[in-house]
Amino acid sequence: MSIIKTENICKSFGNLEVLKNVSLTVEPGEVVVIIGPSGAGKSTYLRCLNRLEKSTSGKIWIDDQLFEDRANGHNQVHHTAKERAAVLLEMGMVFQRFNLFPHKTALENVMLAPLAVKHVPEKEAREKATALLQRVGLGDKMDAYPSKLSGGQQQRVAIARALAMEPKIMLFDEPTSALDPELVGDVLNVMKQLAEDGMTMLVVTHEMGFAREVADRVIFMYDGAVLEEGRPEEIFSNPKHERTRQFLQSVL
Amino acid sequence: MDALTKIVNWMPALLQATGTTISLSVLSVAAALVFAVVLALGKISANPVLSNLCRAYIFFFRGTPLLMQLFFIYYTLPQLIPALNIQSRFFAAWLAFTLNVAAYLAEIIRAAIESIDKGQMEASRALGLTRRQAMRLVIIPQAYRRMIPPICNEFVMVLKDTSLVSIIALTDLTYQTKIIASNRASALVYIPAMLIYLVITGVFTFIFNKLEKRLSIYE
Ligand SMILES: Nc1ncnc2c1ncn2[C@@H]1O[C@H](COP(=O)(O)OP(=O)(O)O)[C@@H](O)[C@H]1O
Ligand SMILES: [Mg+2]
Repeated sequence: MSIIKTENICKSFGNLEVLKNVSLTVEPGEVVVIIGPSGAGKSTYLRCLNRLEKSTSGKIWIDDQLFEDRANGHNQVHHTAKERAAVLLEMGMVFQRFNLFPHKTALENVMLAPLAVKHVPEKEAREKATALLQRVGLGDKMDAYPSKLSGGQQQRVAIARALAMEPKIMLFDEPTSALDPELVGDVLNVMKQLAEDGMTMLVVTHEMGFAREVADRVIFMYDGAVLEEGRPEEIFSNPKHERTRQFLQSVL
Repeated sequence: MDALTKIVNWMPALLQATGTTISLSVLSVAAALVFAVVLALGKISANPVLSNLCRAYIFFFRGTPLLMQLFFIYYTLPQLIPALNIQSRFFAAWLAFTLNVAAYLAEIIRAAIESIDKGQMEASRALGLTRRQAMRLVIIPQAYRRMIPPICNEFVMVLKDTSLVSIIALTDLTYQTKIIASNRASALVYIPAMLIYLVITGVFTFIFNKLEKRLSIYE
């Protein structure tokens, strides 16, 4: 049983090889933190999972279903658009720069996809969005436009927005990197809560405290490959690779 | 005093011609807007045939003088294809302006759409929206506001450019002014005529500014 499994994912942009045979498995309910220097391919890896990028080759299983089997960029698994959409809906994504819809209020941001994609009745969508915003501590900001919210509040709206689609897996791409230091804690607390509630999470972050405390497993990516993985205690106190050691020294 | 009486006497004819100027501008910009949306979406579409077709259209209409396009539609087209003989000067002028302005508006719309941060499409896609839904619900509503100032600009240009139609003897404000000036040998008529142009461009600019404010409540 695995909820995400990738085998030998490769991705090139032109001649630039960004991912080199990344194989990784995530179990249901697991929190996996990916660390590594800038340019290592962490974002690209997450983006290949939910098809914001198309990998060049490799296989992806989502919920034990073969989702992609690419060679030379061509997917050899044939899904209808509907089937593909259903698989993609199992993953929610939170971006470094929030990407909230600026022309919609916090509540409308959270309601938009359930209404448009799942055709949830308006009343139900509103109730659910309200509950989610309360859950991320923004019960009093429902009608605020993103421009009126702090970065930390915007990111929490973005988390609620992703949760509104009821994903089984949440992908986080440096969710706190664009925040002022004093706002990081609120977002991490929401993520921690989410992990405690049993959400499967794949988190790219430089917050080593979060990794140490919440992660079941830490992956160190370097130059497009997984260099080392293990329990947080192992990686942080006893890294096997020199590169990992250097990286940890630079961030801790 | 004498001058004032003259101007008052000219007013009915001038105002009637102003009606033609305004309706020609409004009707052609309105039609051009609809056409321009198609052109803009066509140009940014992934379909290379459609995209190049739209590109060629835009290139042609922006790359040749409007006056020539007007002549072409009114004089040349009926000669080439007699069935397309355009009797109405107003219709010929409307068609020329619509076709021409659509090319400019298409570029405005395309630029506005492309100015929206890529993250908006990515977030929409990650939430399960189709490309089309993302355009309709997320990208285009944000692009609207950015389009308003350049569209306003274009509209004011069109209002003034319609004076070109006097060349096919359509009685717009400019043509009427010229008639009065030559018949009564009074060049004074240019003063009220220009004031009328100023008033209408002023009024429309005001309306567009209001519209822009209304659309930017979320900023
Ligand atoms: N769309 C793209 N086109 C070309 N190169 C890209 C693109 N996206 C990422 N890259 C390159 O891929 C490499 C890995 O990027 P990324 O996955 O963002 O790394 P990380 O998230 O680990 O910092 C970088 O060298 C980056 O410049
Ligand atoms: Mg990154």
